[in-house]
Amino acid sequence: MNAELITALLVIGGAFLALLRAVKGPTTFDRVLAVNVFGTKTVVLLALLGYIGDRTGFLDIAVLYALVNFLGTIALLKFVETRRLG
Amino acid sequence: MSESVVLRTIGGMLFPYILVYGLYVQMHGEIGPGGGFQAGVLVAAAFILHSLLFGKELTDRLLPTWLVDLSMSLGVLLYIGVGIVGLVKGSYFLDYSVLDPTHPAHAEALGMTLVEAGVGLTVASVILTMVRKVNGEPA
Repeated sequence: MNAELITALLVIGGAFLALLRAVKGPTTFDRVLAVNVFGTKTVVLLALLGYIGDRTGFLDIAVLYALVNFLGTIALLKFVETRRLG
Repeated sequence: MSESVVLRTIGGMLFPYILVYGLYVQMHGEIGPGGGFQAGVLVAAAFILHSLLFGKELTDRLLPTWLVDLSMSLGVLLYIGVGIVGLVKGSYFLDYSVLDPTHPAHAEALGMTLVEAGVGLTVASVILTMVRKVNGEPA
């Protein structure tokens, strides 16, 4: 087994732990942070998959996901604070 | 949320980059991941971010509602227009080769670019309108 595959598996494990915190997490802040961590792990995993499969197109998707992930976090925070998105 | 200085600064910095990335996905869609639909979603995401951070009045000043409504139909018109050109010139619907008979490869690139531009315009404006509707505004 090569190093990048092990790294990808570890990242998936970390993402699972973050998901667990998002489901359990006592306060809303925990959940928002866990969702943000999960999104960041997805970005890293996409870049790794692009390296493993030797497909540079995955990097484009990783950048795109980073941008949209930021938007999702802001929308979630705004909804928590004001209970509406408008 | 519009009083948070950090979010407004970061969002204001990120807004043009998301727009440019949307254009990149639109133009690069032929040879990479992406295309009209994805680019439209990204452009719409940029304006949604703007309206989340700065309020919908400022976003309306940046991108008026009539422009969104107009581009919603303009995209479909562009798509169908490219298709109709094929019909008018005596071939079948969406036949790109009639656009430039001497250079079939150029004609295909031109036709695909125009069709993808139409898809991007329509998707961006429809998603913006959907978000407006979900927020309970008359669109």
